[in-house]
Amino acid sequence: MTATQHLSSADVQQGEVVAIGSDTYNQVLGFLYREASLLDAISLKEWSALLATDLVYTVPLRQTRPMAQQAASIIRTVQHYHDDYRSIMGRVMRLTGTKSAWAEDPPSRTRRLVTNVQVSTTGVEGELAVVSYLLLTRSRFDSPDLDLISGERRDVLRYVAGELKLARREVILDQAVLGTPNLAIFL
Amino acid sequence: MKQTRNVLADGTSIEDLVKVDTREVQMRALSDHEIYNLEMDRVFGHSWLLLGHETEIPNENDFVVRDMGSDSVIVARGKNGQIHVSLNVCPHRGMKVSTLDAGNTPIHKCIYHGWAFRPNGDFLASPVEKECMHGKMMSKVELGLEQARVTLYGGIIFATWDHEGPSFEEFLGDAKWYFDILFQRSDKGLEVLGPPQRFIVRANWKTAGEQSAADGFHTLTLHRWLGEVGNYAKSGEEGGADLSPEMYGVEVSSSNGHALRCIDLGRKIRKLTGLDPDELSVDQKLEALPPPGVTREMLPQLKRNLSKDQLKVLVSMPPQVGGIFPNVLFAFVYIPQADGSVLGLTLLHAYVPKGPDQLEFVNWILAEKDTPPELKEKMLRQSIQLFGTSGMVEQDDSDTWPHMTVAARGARGRKSTLKYQAVYETSKPAGWPGPGIVNEGFTKDDTQWHWWLHWHELMLAKV
Ligand code: FES
Ligand SMILES: [Fe+2]
Repeated sequence: MTATQHLSSADVQQGEVVAIGSDTYNQVLGFLYREASLLDAISLKEWSALLATDLVYTVPLRQTRPMAQQAASIIRTVQHYHDDYRSIMGRVMRLTGTKSAWAEDPPSRTRRLVTNVQVSTTGVEGELAVVSYLLLTRSRFDSPDLDLISGERRDVLRYVAGELKLARREVILDQAVLGTPNLAIFL
Repeated sequence: MKQTRNVLADGTSIEDLVKVDTREVQMRALSDHEIYNLEMDRVFGHSWLLLGHETEIPNENDFVVRDMGSDSVIVARGKNGQIHVSLNVCPHRGMKVSTLDAGNTPIHKCIYHGWAFRPNGDFLASPVEKECMHGKMMSKVELGLEQARVTLYGGIIFATWDHEGPSFEEFLGDAKWYFDILFQRSDKGLEVLGPPQRFIVRANWKTAGEQSAADGFHTLTLHRWLGEVGNYAKSGEEGGADLSPEMYGVEVSSSNGHALRCIDLGRKIRKLTGLDPDELSVDQKLEALPPPGVTREMLPQLKRNLSKDQLKVLVSMPPQVGGIFPNVLFAFVYIPQADGSVLGLTLLHAYVPKGPDQLEFVNWILAEKDTPPELKEKMLRQSIQLFGTSGMVEQDDSDTWPHMTVAARGARGRKSTLKYQAVYETSKPAGWPGPGIVNEGFTKDDTQWHWWLHWHELMLAKV
């Protein structure tokens, strides 16, 4: 499997690899770090300012399938998240604009560890395909156990007026049965 | 004998777990290992259990792996399209026969020593035929995978280990009249829009089971945000954050533990048409607000498949949420949209027990087979938005049940009681055409209480 094939997600065309350590790569890394810290600090309104208004945000289901059928292990019919900008903003509104979003009030304590970042150009000017690993730890109430959510983010970032925005995110989770009671948090 | 079978190790009798006169349930029922183990035989061994929908396995040799209580089963379509449910335990040495979630195969081969089984569970052969490694003491017929009794209802796959017990129709009892309104109303029936979402909640399965059957009251507080933002608030149906008008309707209890909350569509129809719903005919109401997944073009199907009385309930006070005993929730809900329209959604959940303090939440999203693709897409996306893993409504439920489960482990908490003392003082509305134990008014505890009574009845071993 070549690097470019590995990067290919459902609907994003990959172009040239963007070298690790290059200016563009560092800008992407800066975006991902900033995004992670906003989400972990529950600054959801600031986070939502990083979203492109044509955002597509999806989290497919996973199934246990044999080696020969790994493509079928990713389910994109029913998914865990199947959102656009408007519906994500609806979720942000519930979490920030109501007094009764109990699933995150009191909020989880989270860490989004984002690593293994690979960047490439796409067929579209000003857009970058970004693949990264996500390990999200979630602590709720007085339980000493952390819920772990691990997966691969397949993003498209776009320069809008010189700033990077998130235009597409697909998170390929590792668990066929999620080990957390809900996804009231963003991945 | 009877004495010991219905007494727990610490001397508590199962009889006393449920206080019938004061409508209380001892909380230890939500955490106790011994009770859990008994439930696996007495409740899950004797109920019809939801395993999926036949549209998940449309072709011969298709299969999915699911759970019946604490046992894994293979749900497979065999020859002639028949669906079989086999215990997913190799009769040789107990290996799990299928380690997959889904697929298509004419032969399920155990990877340990290679015993092979057909989709109907029949034992086919073991490797190195001339050595007869399955021995000669038992016939091939005896070496097949254990078979559950299977039925299809509106394409939904139910199975039970109780081969001599009640038929599925008897199991539904009086509630069947209402369930038929939901599951038997269209010509081609329902279909799944994909495989189910699955996630773990660290809670006893009964916290979800009793809520499904059918706690209307919690919506007011736990799901209060619905009145704080979004279309309930904006539409200002009854103004601001007050969801209580949505709590009025008709509730159907069942001696078999099933429950249905029939919620008044009057306000929605008035808003859509600007007319008094009492002045409208059944046809006009159907036109104004067709049920979830049903378009105006599909309305003749409803009239073909349902009786006049069932149609009357469907257009005025349809069952919208409720439970199928022991661990199923159904939702056929009407969700107000920002543009003033209403979008119907259809979901089924199974709460699979995974030990006394853990359940697996399995969420199927459905539509009618005949629902047009654009409408299916809308239903799918809004179902994901509101229900299941990331659903803005059910997030709050799955965060609540674990606390109850932990509380039920406390030395004093386990002796506390769950109370179902808000009792209906009404009966059926005048002219109500449906059968069963029916009460009208603000949601009360009766349906959930009947759920517990049935649980109690099953837990008391009849020896
Ligand atoms: S355990 Fe299945 S073949 Fe031996
Ligand atoms: Fe709820």
